[in-house]
Amino acid sequence: MKRKAKVTAKAKPKVKAGPTRAKAVAKKTVTAKPRPAAAAQPDAVDMLIAASTETLKLPLDPSWHGGVKFNLQLILRLGAVVDEFPLPDDAEPAPIFRA
Amino acid sequence: MLDTPATDIAPATATAIATAVAAGRVTAQSAVETALARIRERDPLLNSFTAVTEQRALSRAAAIDEARARGKKLGPLAGVPFAVKNLFDVAGLTTVAGSKINRDNPPAARDATLIERLEAAGAILLGALNMGEYAYDFTGENIHDGPSRNPHDLKRMTGGSSGGSGGAVGGGLVPFALGSDTNGSIRVPSSLCGIFGLKPTYGRLSRARTFPFVSSLDHLGPLARSTRDLALAYDAMQGYDAEDPACNDRPAEPVVPLLDRGTEGLRIAVASGYFKCKSGEACYAIDRVASALGANRDIEIPPAERARAAAFTITAAEGASLHLQRLRQRATDYDPAVRDRLIAGAMTPATLVLKAQKFRRWYREEVLKLFDEVDAILAPATPCTAPLIGQQMFKHGDVELPVRANLGLYTQPISFIGLPVVAVPVPLTPLPIGVQIITAPWREDVALRIAHTLEAKGIVAAMRPPL
Repeated sequence: MKRKAKVTAKAKPKVKAGPTRAKAVAKKTVTAKPRPAAAAQPDAVDMLIAASTETLKLPLDPSWHGGVKFNLQLILRLGAVVDEFPLPDDAEPAPIFRA
Repeated sequence: MLDTPATDIAPATATAIATAVAAGRVTAQSAVETALARIRERDPLLNSFTAVTEQRALSRAAAIDEARARGKKLGPLAGVPFAVKNLFDVAGLTTVAGSKINRDNPPAARDATLIERLEAAGAILLGALNMGEYAYDFTGENIHDGPSRNPHDLKRMTGGSSGGSGGAVGGGLVPFALGSDTNGSIRVPSSLCGIFGLKPTYGRLSRARTFPFVSSLDHLGPLARSTRDLALAYDAMQGYDAEDPACNDRPAEPVVPLLDRGTEGLRIAVASGYFKCKSGEACYAIDRVASALGANRDIEIPPAERARAAAFTITAAEGASLHLQRLRQRATDYDPAVRDRLIAGAMTPATLVLKAQKFRRWYREEVLKLFDEVDAILAPATPCTAPLIGQQMFKHGDVELPVRANLGLYTQPISFIGLPVVAVPVPLTPLPIGVQIITAPWREDVALRIAHTLEAKGIVAAMRPPL
């Protein structure tokens, strides 16, 4: 069946009117694009793994290194997809603590 | 219908059993014994159950039969056997959550809230079901208990992580089962096993006394062979529970009385862009469902790929946080595939996780705007039919993707913001595949009405497996 209208939401963050937010967004547009975490070179990931296992006191058998590195690279690559998306400074995280 | 032999793999629905028990045409005891016989015969093939609570079930059945004999009014699920993913607490059983490590824990002292509510409605627990280790899984494979096997082809995956739930329901061992869904773990096995699955709105059903995975994304819900059975189980489980901090203080909104309202007047669209199907089976299923519903418009869900990436990031970090101490002490007791993901997750920069949570709120607001224009959105449930057990990669369009991480690529952006979804099975030969019916928060009724209409038209159905 042929489908008719196409409804597309703008793939841009909603920014409420107001000088502060507008300024924040305008500033984002001229700010140098942050370097995504996925840009880390393999040796940097190796160093991150070594430092993290040391500081977090995690075991890491040498035979596990390849699997951990594969997964960490995937996390960093996907994390970068989120990181590169501009959000206003006052964007609230999803979970809200209620006192 | 109920006196079919255990070898008949087309057993009665929950609705039929409850009706027959209430009318006295069959006893709860015979309903349970029939299901137990099926489990004895079929489960060596399917590997769905990790524990069968036979004595408890028979005792419960005797109590129901006695109550009826005394003239007491029975609950809407009287005599209906069911089973739960083994991350639900079952009094007297250790909650293993698919792991080796948790087997050292003491038995649970009390049932999970949802089990208590189902049994209060007359349902009878038959046991605990196989699952992917600690629910970090889309395959239904388990290194400790062996893989759950797809009833439509025993060489193939059930999908996960609620693999035993998919296999037990699809294979006709129980009319319905409970599973959990963090990123797709009800909808993926529903699709691959050809059954119906409901992932309710985040916060709708209590998670009290279940083993968590990613608290900010975890949902529980039923899998069944009909929409009405889904709705019956769902209605019995609704209601606030102070013991789950995420459970919404919202009155129960029964859907069974609404099922027959049809779809007239509902505005239904098909998700495009990221959700555009890439396999023949997924495309056929979406087209068949959309055509039957007159869904003649496309709608693009705003950056779903980023939503999936954010869900992936939160899952990695929050899952790792849950397991950090166990990883330090017992890393070698994990499934290596799960262990490597969790260790990597522990190294996720906090900045990325917080950004993902901020994106989550923004994305939710954008997606909710779509529901000003439509009442429901259709999308594939899985990118493909059931892969072979042990299969590492699958073809998605022109690219090869790892199975374990990507079977949920269509489900993850939806559960990320807690929208309710009913997965409906499109019967294909040789393997079924599912379609997601996605609605606005708290509108499970709309999704279930659409599913029920499709079922009445014969567009979707739980296929009888060739066991």
